[in-house]
Amino acid sequence: MNLARRLSFLSFLLLGGNLIAAELVAPDLTIEQAIDHYIQTRLTERQSQPTPTADDCTLVRRTSIDLQGRIPTVAETKRFVDSTDSDKRVKLVDALLASPDFSYQFRNQLDTLLMSGQNGVSGEWREYLLKSVRQNRPWNQMFRDMLIGNDDDPDVKAATTFVRVRARELDELTNDTSSIFFGVNVSCAKCHDHPLVEDWKQDHYFGMASFFQRTYVTKKNGIAEKFSGEVKFKTTKGEDKVAKLMFLTGTTIEEPVVEVSAEEKKKQDEEVKKQTQDDKAGPPPTPPFSPRAKLVDVALQSGNDQFFARAIVNRVWAMYIGRGLVHPLDQMHSGNPASHPELLEWLSRDLIQHQFDLRRLVRGIVLSQTYARSSEWNGSTEPPAADLFAVALVRPLSPRQYSMSLRIASSSPEAYKPATEEWSKKRDELERNSEGFANQFELPGENFQVGVDEALLFSNSPQFADDYLRDSGDRLIGVIKAQADRGTQISTAYWSALSRAPSADEVAACEQFMAKRTEPVAGLRQMVWALLTSPELRFNH
Amino acid sequence: MTTADPTKFKVAKTARVKGIAMCVTNLPGTQRLFFGSSDFKVYELDMAAEKPQPVEFTGDGHQSYVTGAALAGNQLITGSYDGRLIWWDIEKREPIRSVAAHGKWIRNVVASPDGKVIASVADDMLCKLWDASSGNPLQTLVEHKPMTPHHFPSMLFAVAFSVDSQLLATGDKVGHIAVWDVASGKKVSELEAPVMYTWDPKQRRHSIGGIRSLAFSADGKQVAAGGIGTIGNIDHLDGPSRVEIFDWAAKTRVHEISDTKFKGLVEQITFPKAGNWFVCAGGDNGGFASFYDSQTGKVVHQDKVPMHVHKFVLNDTQDTLYAAGHDQIAVVEFKAVPAAPAEAPAAAAS
Amino acid sequence: MANTSFCGSPDHGVTRRSFLSVPAIAGVTAFAANMRIMDALKNPCLAGELKRQQKSVILLWLGGGASQFETWDPKPGRLTGGPFRSIATDIPSVQISELMPKMAQRLKTTAIIRSLNTRNADHGGGTRLMETGRAMEAAIDYPDLGALIARELGRADSQVPDYVSMYSETEGRHKGGAGFLGARYAPTFLTESMIPPNIRRQESLADVDHQERADLQKLLAKRFADKRYNASVASHGMAYERVRGIMASEKLFDINQEPQIARDFYGPTQFQEQCLIARRLVEAGVPFVKVARAWWDSHGQNFETHLELCADLDQGMSALLDDLKQRGLLDSTLVITLAEFGRTPNINASLGRDHFASAWSCTLSGCGVKGGAVYGKTDADGHKVEDGEMKSGDLFATIFAALGIDYKKEYHVGARPIPIVDFGCKPVTEILA
Repeated sequence: MNLARRLSFLSFLLLGGNLIAAELVAPDLTIEQAIDHYIQTRLTERQSQPTPTADDCTLVRRTSIDLQGRIPTVAETKRFVDSTDSDKRVKLVDALLASPDFSYQFRNQLDTLLMSGQNGVSGEWREYLLKSVRQNRPWNQMFRDMLIGNDDDPDVKAATTFVRVRARELDELTNDTSSIFFGVNVSCAKCHDHPLVEDWKQDHYFGMASFFQRTYVTKKNGIAEKFSGEVKFKTTKGEDKVAKLMFLTGTTIEEPVVEVSAEEKKKQDEEVKKQTQDDKAGPPPTPPFSPRAKLVDVALQSGNDQFFARAIVNRVWAMYIGRGLVHPLDQMHSGNPASHPELLEWLSRDLIQHQFDLRRLVRGIVLSQTYARSSEWNGSTEPPAADLFAVALVRPLSPRQYSMSLRIASSSPEAYKPATEEWSKKRDELERNSEGFANQFELPGENFQVGVDEALLFSNSPQFADDYLRDSGDRLIGVIKAQADRGTQISTAYWSALSRAPSADEVAACEQFMAKRTEPVAGLRQMVWALLTSPELRFNH
Repeated sequence: MTTADPTKFKVAKTARVKGIAMCVTNLPGTQRLFFGSSDFKVYELDMAAEKPQPVEFTGDGHQSYVTGAALAGNQLITGSYDGRLIWWDIEKREPIRSVAAHGKWIRNVVASPDGKVIASVADDMLCKLWDASSGNPLQTLVEHKPMTPHHFPSMLFAVAFSVDSQLLATGDKVGHIAVWDVASGKKVSELEAPVMYTWDPKQRRHSIGGIRSLAFSADGKQVAAGGIGTIGNIDHLDGPSRVEIFDWAAKTRVHEISDTKFKGLVEQITFPKAGNWFVCAGGDNGGFASFYDSQTGKVVHQDKVPMHVHKFVLNDTQDTLYAAGHDQIAVVEFKAVPAAPAEAPAAAAS
Repeated sequence: MANTSFCGSPDHGVTRRSFLSVPAIAGVTAFAANMRIMDALKNPCLAGELKRQQKSVILLWLGGGASQFETWDPKPGRLTGGPFRSIATDIPSVQISELMPKMAQRLKTTAIIRSLNTRNADHGGGTRLMETGRAMEAAIDYPDLGALIARELGRADSQVPDYVSMYSETEGRHKGGAGFLGARYAPTFLTESMIPPNIRRQESLADVDHQERADLQKLLAKRFADKRYNASVASHGMAYERVRGIMASEKLFDINQEPQIARDFYGPTQFQEQCLIARRLVEAGVPFVKVARAWWDSHGQNFETHLELCADLDQGMSALLDDLKQRGLLDSTLVITLAEFGRTPNINASLGRDHFASAWSCTLSGCGVKGGAVYGKTDADGHKVEDGEMKSGDLFATIFAALGIDYKKEYHVGARPIPIVDFGCKPVTEILA
């Protein structure tokens, strides 16, 4: 490996970025100030013009989807739009962060991060996440919960589901942990030293795997660790090698040597075997040395914790901005630098200094100017590169968000009253009812495409019509059919579905359409259909 | 008086064979066995030897798995997937005659207890009766449907004679049993055991199971059918071993045995000449032998045997069975322990 | 979660490109950043060229892993060969299992590959490998063959589905997927019903209303979509545009539209009916149809299972080939039999065969195939490949070559090229016409 590169990488890590600490802007800036500073710096360098701030309707809609997991109600939208308070955006964000909605939404985002691709995960896991978000549990503490856990604490018990659902596949557990918590996909390094990414060798892959190698699932469906066991692998030269416990920084851990008699070892092995076979066995034995616990300690050690901090900063950034500072999210290595390395450093340092408080980070991102940009590109040339963050990125709603948003969009504006006493219950109901969509629709990944199946479902399924186009009093159509004139009907529909007023052209097009309909309520239904199935509703923009 | 005691079950001896021993028969009064194998050959194996070695029969033999073997006098008659029946001289270990008996795969060959008739069943869904000594065809019994209700080709696995050699039973894939009068070749009864046939309509869309074994009770009034009960995952033999016993004339079922302790196919059932038990053997990935009370249907004794049993034969004293199966032949003894002789020459009970 | 990262190693298949951001250039692909590019495909010259290419693929997927011993590569007389014999075929010196007598007379349009060595004998991994033509990577969500063919042979403005997948509900059922090609190429998936879900307009809505409200939706969406340079947003519009066309293709799925004589020709089993529907779809221009026949995973009672399943396959496949030939479609249709792996030479104690990926078979028939060819050889007992070893990627390269698709082409995801076939894999020219 190129010595110079290795040195620079190592120093980048080991000195915790202190090499460039002098170059970072002051830590006592607000998060949003730091963000806008660095983003603007690069825009200026590239002579790139960002889009203006999004209008109020767009902003309240976007913020609501991001912090509440749903579009705003008409009342919520209008309250923000009509407010003349100079501080209204800050007030909005703080109110939303304090709402019951935020806990559900952020919980769902963490669930996606931690468990997407896993089937049949218990409700208790999601409960753990919800509780953790509600109490704003620090991320490093959650990491500890998930990797080590505490069977005696009922609030935390389900956290080790993260390990348990992957414990039977060492590769999966290794890869997912590295990728999710450290932003590092080392899977290529399983077969050979990563040819491009000089940071990752087979030793790194198998070093990480070693932390998990002794973990097993008991018959009672808990996780435990064996007393011994090592990962063996074949190098590309064909040599047999035993892996050492090694963290991604290259730090190796020496396991304390414990002399164990053959008889004692046999007893240990039998105890472990019993744990995997007997569903009436007592609690599993705890070996004196736990590689998995050691991983948590090493990873959170000051000096190493940049990996951990940077990875979550990058992911949270991507949740709200639509693209990581490092892209892709699991390729954080020296050959793939961040678009804004100083910003990434600053935010990571800030997170560490504030005890891994995620809510604080979210608040900062969402209050930045960068976040609030318009997603509309009116230029004659192609828009600037995505990693300049000059234009807000359009993001598809998640299935749950889509479900709840359609529900709100198609309901009477009086049906949902957030920030009232009954709201908690109603919001919980909305969340539970979104389960159907969650099972039916795929989570949007990269290169998300809407399939014709979805279009057919919305076009022809009787259930869609029944759910969203009913004209009963608690529904949008029920409300607008009683309204006096077309103009009002169209306007109400627009505010409800798209969180804004219609343009003159849109009013004309809708009026023309409805004039041709023989049956007025049916005409309203179809107009509302066109709005509900609009891409403007489908996406967070 | 019987010398058999099923509770004294023990695997006395095993002999490894190449391939899968699919069928076996025993020369009465000896420990000489004749078995057919998946290597297409027929062998003699003398279990009296300390280290029994299979001796190959020579000459123009079968061209596929040998699935049935029956003795009639000093002739051995074997049947195979190649559709042929071959008569062999057991001393010379050579073929006497070879008959293109069936258009499809022969599943079993049995001899009537009086040694006069040979019955063969095959997937052409025909049971054919042959003169045991001359090899001349006697009857073709047509009954079993060539297609299953799910439009697949069916199979005809099982055939058995009654003790008096006058009746015959045949059983197929879908659980249909026919009882026949041997002399006239006419069907005298039919029975259904549909549980033996598992059709998976959803996940696998094919079937498994079928009636794999049949036997008449010693008094000829009952027919026992063996197979496997309903299976959840038909990729494996993961179902209870199953026996149904019928009063064939009344067409009623007398016993239903669904045994979850020993799972798999019941490949063979035999009633002894005397005694109120009958024995089944078979297996899934492993093997078992089970003795049931013929009056009550309850277990008398059952145990594992070293391999999945395809066929077995009782010896002439009915206290030992020779089992043929996956890469071995096993001798299973269940001999009654003899009573201690009386010391004084007092009047002894008989 | 799909991710588009890679390590760039030739072992892991993707060429290295700079990580520096390069403006995404929309090509004539579904990644078109805006609707104007899509309109170009409506250009009559371009559309004409595409029509000339109207080829199709029917994949007969033998889910669970059919035994090569009981189908295309029998070993009669060997301990591993099982009880079934081999029979002569219409190609001198080529024999296949006696369980496939009808196909034995149709090898003149079929090539048999006997030398697949794909190493992955696990249902999940093997399926992914054989569906996508390459080993799964944690990082890249590769599209399956159906999505690839839909992309290559389909038309952007197609009035019929591009990729239809029929399976019987089965253990380990696999949806397959379009991976990074996106939902545009996801299969129309038929499970319980043979009619795609939601294909019929609700009766309470008149057809003119159905059409005109779709027009209104499109008109109103324009303002939003035109100003967003986003492939996902574009896909939304395209999905809705295809609705009417897909609805019009409902009849294609209705087997009652065929005369009884055609239905009898194929046979009454579900698989045979689906083969008939596959012909209908291909005749109407659907580029890729998958008919999954499950479940061949005969860990117990391998011979009984294959007795049934081979009879089903033999009848369905031969009827399909005959029917395609009669209608002049066989030259432009490639029929493939494939599975996730084959089965072990060793016969276990339940008379079953277990998973085996070291030496197994598949077939190609029709378009671009040299009929009567047999490629590759296994040893006497079928334990390993002796000659002509092929990987999954080689098979894919051969399939593409047979269809006239350039197997060396690359897709672009953003600025990054992704080759259509796994690195180092080439078509086997011996089985190409």
